Amino acid sequence: MGLQISIRESDDVTILDLRGRATIDAGESELLDGQLQRLVANGARKLLLNLTDLTRVDSSGISVIVGACVSLRHQGGDLRVLRPSGPVLEVFRVLHLLEAIPSFDDEARALASFRSRGQAASSSQRSL
Amino acid sequence: MTSPCSSAAVPQKTALVVASGRDIDELLTTVLASDGWSLHRADDNQHALALATTEPFDLIVTGRKMLGPDDVEILRRIRSARAHLRLIILTDRFTPGDVVSAMREGAFSYFSAPFDAAELAEMVRAAMAAPCWDDGIEVLSATPAWVRVAARCDTSTADRLVQFLRGVRDPSIPEGIISAFREVLLNAMEYGAHFDPSQHVEISFIRARRAVACRVKDPGQGFSLEELRHAAINNPADDLLSHVAAREAQGLRPGGFGLLLAKKLVDELIYSEQGNEVLLVKYIDPISQVA
Repeated sequence: MGLQISIRESDDVTILDLRGRATIDAGESELLDGQLQRLVANGARKLLLNLTDLTRVDSSGISVIVGACVSLRHQGGDLRVLRPSGPVLEVFRVLHLLEAIPSFDDEARALASFRSRGQAASSSQRSL
Repeated sequence: MTSPCSSAAVPQKTALVVASGRDIDELLTTVLASDGWSLHRADDNQHALALATTEPFDLIVTGRKMLGPDDVEILRRIRSARAHLRLIILTDRFTPGDVVSAMREGAFSYFSAPFDAAELAEMVRAAMAAPCWDDGIEVLSATPAWVRVAARCDTSTADRLVQFLRGVRDPSIPEGIISAFREVLLNAMEYGAHFDPSQHVEISFIRARRAVACRVKDPGQGFSLEELRHAAINNPADDLLSHVAAREAQGLRPGGFGLLLAKKLVDELIYSEQGNEVLLVKYIDPISQVA
């Protein structure tokens, strides 16, 4: 499997460290979707996706991330991303998703943003 | 084009790995051993050829120190005797023509250095898992400027085709157009053929002086781009994710970004009237983009 997911928690924020690729190839996006759905079903409302070691993402992976973000916001929660880079950042950039999903370079700042509701990584973010 | 072959179980799978340096050798050993494959080693590709004539290997990974044409010749000779053997070519020195030749001769995949070790590991796993593969990609015609292939409608074949394109390492084919190609290819396989492995999509890669282009034709009935309310490509500029609600209303799984992503990564994305053919164009001469 080309995607490894490690889960840890910091107060009420659930952090998912993603390693590998979130693509349709061998069911990686499906794996991520299932994991996110389980976390939300179990009550997680604040999710931080650490994309530092995510090497590739395609439309299926992006769709899973966006779907989870929309679902969480409908339930009063939120999803944010940490350190997208390389081809992954390029996908977020060309799709203008950085305007809708807060992105951070620093984990401490990302975690703090969940505590100060309304604070976002970018001042020009659009609502979902 | 032949139909997919049967997937009769084989009790003990064996692989032959040609020495490529410690890191690659260790990686391949780990991947193959994790699934219980028996592993044999060869010092070089000639040694591999000699072993392959006497042992019925299921998978061979060539050594990267060979020249591309030598790899293809070995592939041709081995597969003439072992038609269903999967062979992954690793090479340091090659030409785009070598990549096309490898595809035409039925290589499972092609990695030209430098390549991503994780991508190689994934391709080896795909080769190990593939019950049948050698009718997945058929080169219908090939010139240096225009390669036309038919590809079976499954994700593994799509990945192999994408890796062949990466293997060409043409600096005028940036990762963006490869990603765009991958998106429209998977879209064609899913929506045009429902990932039915008995169906094929037809693909042309065209390398012109000032542009690269890729045409994908699927066997489906086509669609109207304007009517795709569940696709992000039709979202209004001020609502980046309005298609998500449309998909939820229709009970569709998360998705809808493929066409938009492809469109953003190339200069032109053009659909035929019927909607079952799409053309991607990326200009490689800045002057022509202005014109």
